[in-house]
Amino acid sequence: MSIFDELKEAIIEGDEDVVVELAEKVIEDQVDPVAAVQNGLIKGIEEVGKAWIDGEAFLPDVMMAADAMSAGMKVLEPELAKAQASGEGYEDKGKIVLGTVAGDIHDIGKNIVGALLTAAGFKVYDIGIDLQAEDFLNKAKEVDAKIIAASALLTTTMKSQKELIEFLVEQGVRDQYKVIIGGGPTSLKWGEDIGADGWAETADEAVELCQKLLA
Amino acid sequence: MIQKYDILTQDEIDKIHHNSMRILREIGVEFSYEPALEVFRKNNQRVEGHRVYLDTEFVENMIEKAPQSFTLHARNPENNLVCGGGDALYMPGYGAPFIYEADGTKRDATMADYDNFVKLAGASKHLHMTGGTVCEPTDINENIRHMKMAYSHITNSDKVYMGSSSGYEYAMDAIEMTAILHGGKDVIKEKPALICLINSVTPLKYDDRMLGGLMAYAETGQAMVIASLVMSGSTGPATLAGALSLQNAEVLAGITLAQCINPGTPVVYGSTSAISDMGTGSLSIGNPENALFTSASAQLSRFYGVPCRGGGGLSDAKTVDAQAGYESMMLLMAATTTGVSFVLHSAGILQYYMAMSYEKFIIDEEMCGMLKRYMAGFDMSDDEKMAFDVIEKVGPGGHFLTQKHTRKNFKTEHFRPALSDRQSYDGWAKESLTACQRANAKWKSVLENYQAPALDEAVNKELLAYMEKRTKELI
Repeated sequence: MSIFDELKEAIIEGDEDVVVELAEKVIEDQVDPVAAVQNGLIKGIEEVGKAWIDGEAFLPDVMMAADAMSAGMKVLEPELAKAQASGEGYEDKGKIVLGTVAGDIHDIGKNIVGALLTAAGFKVYDIGIDLQAEDFLNKAKEVDAKIIAASALLTTTMKSQKELIEFLVEQGVRDQYKVIIGGGPTSLKWGEDIGADGWAETADEAVELCQKLLA
Repeated sequence: MIQKYDILTQDEIDKIHHNSMRILREIGVEFSYEPALEVFRKNNQRVEGHRVYLDTEFVENMIEKAPQSFTLHARNPENNLVCGGGDALYMPGYGAPFIYEADGTKRDATMADYDNFVKLAGASKHLHMTGGTVCEPTDINENIRHMKMAYSHITNSDKVYMGSSSGYEYAMDAIEMTAILHGGKDVIKEKPALICLINSVTPLKYDDRMLGGLMAYAETGQAMVIASLVMSGSTGPATLAGALSLQNAEVLAGITLAQCINPGTPVVYGSTSAISDMGTGSLSIGNPENALFTSASAQLSRFYGVPCRGGGGLSDAKTVDAQAGYESMMLLMAATTTGVSFVLHSAGILQYYMAMSYEKFIIDEEMCGMLKRYMAGFDMSDDEKMAFDVIEKVGPGGHFLTQKHTRKNFKTEHFRPALSDRQSYDGWAKESLTACQRANAKWKSVLENYQAPALDEAVNKELLAYMEKRTKELI
């Protein structure tokens, strides 16, 4: 089995440790890191994503695969950056900054969204929980994200989604990003009221939404 | 497995038992079939005309001979079933002459429907048997219907099925055909492969047809459900305690006869007692009284040391609506949780046994799956199941979705419905399908994809030759 196939298998297995080992081996043996991502990691996550859509894989499979993917990418990141600099980067389906808004520490839904977006081929930057508007923007600028996704689970923290959008407007960057929101108490109407570009009720709908926004 | 719960106290069981014994002793039971009367005479029971008065000690001794559990043998040994082994065995509805379609249309059931229900039961993960008389195939001549039905079960699935009990002769046809399938009557006498349904005629009668069937199954060592359906208020007392005593007397009389003919022959204590709707007089089965009869029967069966038949996906609804759902779950759950072994009518029944519905069949089947999971209870067999380590690993505020422990365990710990919709509103609203509409699509696709297990060609030829010969004799 080639190292690419091994990477793919380890992703499908959701085995983070093996993926990290293999990624280190990629660097050690001076294998093309872009090929390792495209022919290994991405092939694996695509297969898991497809199995999930077909109802054959379940959330633990997808989320473990996504975690393994992130761990592998982290190891390869420096090499990938070099390749990028010399114009040989790999193509993802779009970069998304994802986080839970200020005052809110709920993250299970956000984590699921992140995993499913990863499985769908997006490059997800999950910046965590209880985040200020500038945290979202800083990361989005840094990675050149196309989408900012903000989660809120409490009726009391929904307003932070509104504040995030207002902040982007104030900074004069609102039109540079698609902003999507989600979380238990939110709704399509709330999204429209605060001027978001989209809302989704569930993680799989969030994937569809991102695909539509970046089409 | 979780414990089966009791609804009667020991004192209440004794009261019912004594009341039933008094009925058998002082009022007696009418048996119209001469060979049955002869059996009772030989066993020194008082017979006056057609009425048989049963001595209490005699009845108790005979019941004692019936096995607590027994194995029913399937064509495919992987589908062998233990009746009375603790699990509720699920199977399709029995005897309905009509089909109610999803759009509300009522029509006569046909042989094509019959084959379809056998196939759906054959394909089912949750139904253990393909049942018997899964509908009345009204397009088939009555004289040969019993053979066509047996042939459908034999060829469309390799699960255990039920045979005709319509008189000695027809019962023997079903037994002969099953003997051909299994390699001879001696083989199935050792290893029972067929079970039938014997019903009393309430109050306190057994007719010729059923007694003939009973004797055929008892003689050949095949199993039978001996059931009584008391309609409280019309064919039995309005008081539930009275109706239960009456049912109990009838069933025990039938079991006694079977054990006289062939001591140790496998029998199942059957109850379908319910009530008459006192507005119309019609049978009504989707009610708490039926659930009580079912639960009490499970307990009485334990008291007598025989498996129990009762309950099912029972409803009085005419269409697959909320009433069909809530009534059915009540009766299916009551049967399962109180320890009924043989759940005839688990799937498909509408309007007090009058009709089968394909959509309801699929919905009931899902309920059977849910109840199987419920009965499996909590698994605390090892440390992994107690999950301390993974709780420690995740710690406060984390989540379990990316733990190997989760991936390893969720499929066996969680029941995954095939029919229930768990989507978001928007996900559901794309098609806005009701359970009935989803079930409609499901049974069609199951039938489309169903492959019947291959039957040995020589066996098939022998079966067809038997049926041809008998058809000439019967038509």
